[in-house]
Amino acid sequence: MSDYSASPLLLQAEGLKLRFGGIIAADGIDLSLHEGEHLAIIGPNGAGKTTFLNICTGYLRPQGGSVRFENREITAQPPRQITRLGIARAFQIPQLFAEQTVLENMLLAVSVRERHWNPLRNLHAVPERREMEGLLELVGCSDVRDRVASELPEGKRKLADIAIALALKPRVLLMDEPTSGVASADKFDVMETLMNALRQAKVSSVFVEHDMEMVSRYATRVAVWAQGKIQTTGAPEVVLNDPDVVRNVIGG
Amino acid sequence: MTPNFAVLALLDGIAYASLLFLVAVGLTLVFGVLGILNIAHGSLYAIGAYVAATLGQWLVANGYNPWLTFPALFAGATVVGIALGGMLERFLLQRIYKKDEVLQLLVTFAVFMILENLQRMIWGVQPYFMSTPLNLLGNISFLGINYTAYQVLFLPAAAIVVLFALRHFLRHTAIGAQILAVTEDREAATSIGINATRVYFMTFVIGACFAALGGALATPTTSLVTGMGANMIVLSFAVAATAGLGQIEGAAVSALMIGVARAFAVYLSPELEVIMPYLIMVLVLLVKPNGLFGKDTARKI
Repeated sequence: MSDYSASPLLLQAEGLKLRFGGIIAADGIDLSLHEGEHLAIIGPNGAGKTTFLNICTGYLRPQGGSVRFENREITAQPPRQITRLGIARAFQIPQLFAEQTVLENMLLAVSVRERHWNPLRNLHAVPERREMEGLLELVGCSDVRDRVASELPEGKRKLADIAIALALKPRVLLMDEPTSGVASADKFDVMETLMNALRQAKVSSVFVEHDMEMVSRYATRVAVWAQGKIQTTGAPEVVLNDPDVVRNVIGG
Repeated sequence: MTPNFAVLALLDGIAYASLLFLVAVGLTLVFGVLGILNIAHGSLYAIGAYVAATLGQWLVANGYNPWLTFPALFAGATVVGIALGGMLERFLLQRIYKKDEVLQLLVTFAVFMILENLQRMIWGVQPYFMSTPLNLLGNISFLGINYTAYQVLFLPAAAIVVLFALRHFLRHTAIGAQILAVTEDREAATSIGINATRVYFMTFVIGACFAALGGALATPTTSLVTGMGANMIVLSFAVAATAGLGQIEGAAVSALMIGVARAFAVYLSPELEVIMPYLIMVLVLLVKPNGLFGKDTARKI
């Protein structure tokens, strides 16, 4: 497994603290992401992994600590601002706009990115249409381009959701269980397509994952999140064979 | 009832339905996107009417070309919609989007009361007339009935243009797509970088402009009196609720239903005129609680 610590630092969380009532989600989280990395976060349910994604995208304000993106403080900035800086997000349940076609979803995203404010411009006439069709090709969704989002099979919905995130030209993509809900026979196909698309678009990623097979195949680094702390971090082949991790997280 | 009366009632109904639609579509758009039932929508209607009338009277009194009263109607409406509507959203509604619906209703009701009295302070209680546009277009003959062209041609044309323009704007333009996206899921819309605050502002101003436009275009057909805003908000709520709140095309259909039924009531049994719209609303809602075109969960606008 190659070492990315020499490549530029993209995302850096330091000392994040957040508790909800009696539940401690984050109790001094330090986590960083370098360019080219695909960091998997694993850990027991309810440990705060999704909370981390929510803090990085500005939906939750940490009670302590900070998040920096490309050396710029983004803690508790508005989500929209953070999206514009280059952090995109894919949700556990894809957030496609249900009654629009896949292509229209893409065109909407790109017209927001390019700040198309001409109220008379037809959505289908935006100059980036070709670029969007290319992205759909990249994630293998060209065949469902003109289908209404709510009718798609789950695997395609996941991939279309990733394409929309990529339409925003992010540097980092945060994903919450990218293949959850996809039939198990298709999971690895979907993940393979997804990761290929990220590599080609040169987008680094952080993903929350429960499937250890997925983690060992696709993560360049793993962080174990439990009791509000990062218990350990390192290459998948090392972390996933760590007896402590096996006993506490994987073995359950 | 003679055939003549039937034609007359139908034309009355269509003219009235056109105005009703303009106001109701603004109300339903704002509700569909922002989730707020804006009682002050009635004030925007009334103030739009007063401003358009004042502007028109001033133009005529100062000897300008009377045809200028037409653009004056639209200019008055736009100014009221943008200035008053914009201020309402920016300084008041923006603070209460996350609050309880009852509170939102009370706040817009309070604004309505304040604006109602403001109208009395500015324009007094005597009726206002400004019928120049009506007189300029003259009469046309329809199945043996003479009727003002302004009411049977101009008003319906304005309503149809608004209906199709709004439809096109929402369904086919990039900004319309942003509005639909925020309506469907504000958080997801924000996560792809849409400025939901700006979308709300814009939608409210558009809705306010429609209310003011309804008032401005009503000006030549009626005398402006205090309390006209209250009448209109109740009626346009009946239209929006009959169609299903948030239904734009539906509002056109139910405005026509209510407008025509009300006009027929005037000729057949005048005592029913006032309750006719609510009778229709109640009957429709008894059978279809979400309105004629309303769905349980699907698209909100």
